[in-house]
Amino acid sequence: MKLKLDPRTKLYMILVVSSIVMMSATSLFLWVVRIIITMVPIGLLILEKHYALALRFLIFYVSALVLMFAFISENSTGFLTAFLLGYCSIVVQFMPAMITAWYVVRTTRIDEFVSAMQKMHMPDGITISLAVVMRFFPTIKEEYGSIRDAMKMRGVMFGGGNVARMVEFRMIPVLFSCVNIGNELSAAAITRGLGGKVKRTSVEELGLSLTDVVLITLFSATMIIFVVFKYL
Amino acid sequence: MEKKKLQAKDFITVGIFTAILFVVEFGFGMLGFIHPFVVASYVILIPLVGSIPMMLFYSKVEKFGMITIMSILLAIIMFVGGMGYLGAPLIIVSGIIADLIARAGGYKSFKTIIISYGIFCLWVCANYFPVVITADAYRQSLMDGGFSAEYCDNLFAAVNVHTIAILVVVCFAFGCIGALLGRLVVKKHFVKAGIA
Repeated sequence: MKLKLDPRTKLYMILVVSSIVMMSATSLFLWVVRIIITMVPIGLLILEKHYALALRFLIFYVSALVLMFAFISENSTGFLTAFLLGYCSIVVQFMPAMITAWYVVRTTRIDEFVSAMQKMHMPDGITISLAVVMRFFPTIKEEYGSIRDAMKMRGVMFGGGNVARMVEFRMIPVLFSCVNIGNELSAAAITRGLGGKVKRTSVEELGLSLTDVVLITLFSATMIIFVVFKYL
Repeated sequence: MEKKKLQAKDFITVGIFTAILFVVEFGFGMLGFIHPFVVASYVILIPLVGSIPMMLFYSKVEKFGMITIMSILLAIIMFVGGMGYLGAPLIIVSGIIADLIARAGGYKSFKTIIISYGIFCLWVCANYFPVVITADAYRQSLMDGGFSAEYCDNLFAAVNVHTIAILVVVCFAFGCIGALLGRLVVKKHFVKAGIA
């Protein structure tokens, strides 16, 4: 079975999860709610057959959670404990939002995303720019990887221990290739009639299915539970 | 210069540079976990390092709206990343002001670009505002979140109501210095190659 969610549902998920991430959990019950809500995108990743990614997130999240609860105390001093604890809490705090964002970026095709944004009557400028940002993160990673390989091959990894040069050696080539890719992207976009005066149509027919409705209800309910139990 | 509407090409440029800026910011943001004083030094690090892509970006800006859209995107990303809803509007405000200043110089005058970039950099400070305004609540939520008391004390020693003014000024100053530095780098590498 191939699960297919409406991009609007996914965007709603991001909104809810990041709002929940911002409100810190103060009781055990809220922690449970948070953990459950984190499991949803992981489950969705599994359903969409991104097994490796889901597993990695799961292991990472669970181990940070266990470490944190095992060592939690307000009086932890010592550099290493503080460092480890700080790191784990950051992971636990922001991981849910990151997993959801990753899930959305990985499983949403750009045309789906654009047509969903159009249906929500977002201004074109924001839609296009945001779509480019989404598409560009993997590209930057790839370009950076090849630059690092090239540097390793020539043995200039550390720029002679000079921090400024280390930054310069990495950033300039990345900028070069990104600008070039950007030019190609604009040419491709214009060929496809982006920025024309006519209203664009989309092959993708978007509609809310039963799964979407269920998920939206679930996330809304979680949001309400969280707010009610935290502030009342 | 006549008023032109933004084209698809401009939006793509904005998207690309936002992505680069965010990656830079995120990379350096990771350093903040080491020690809270690093968090305070974002105001120096990020304007300096971010200036290189930003100066390249400024060389491509010709119309009103591009810098504004960039700040809106940054606000959205910061919101999704869980950085708080207090900072997001401030990021957009600093973006709009930066855009207006740069427009006063026709997007070509380097003097206005320096000031504009300095203002734009204040978005880094916007991320501190939850720390300052809701200090007690924020401290409690950090503690509940598992940060040690030591980390919190240090963080609030570095970022509080008294130092925020200094941080804003330092941020602006290093934004201006960064603009000069970025300009040099762009001249050295990109103008020669015909990209800027």
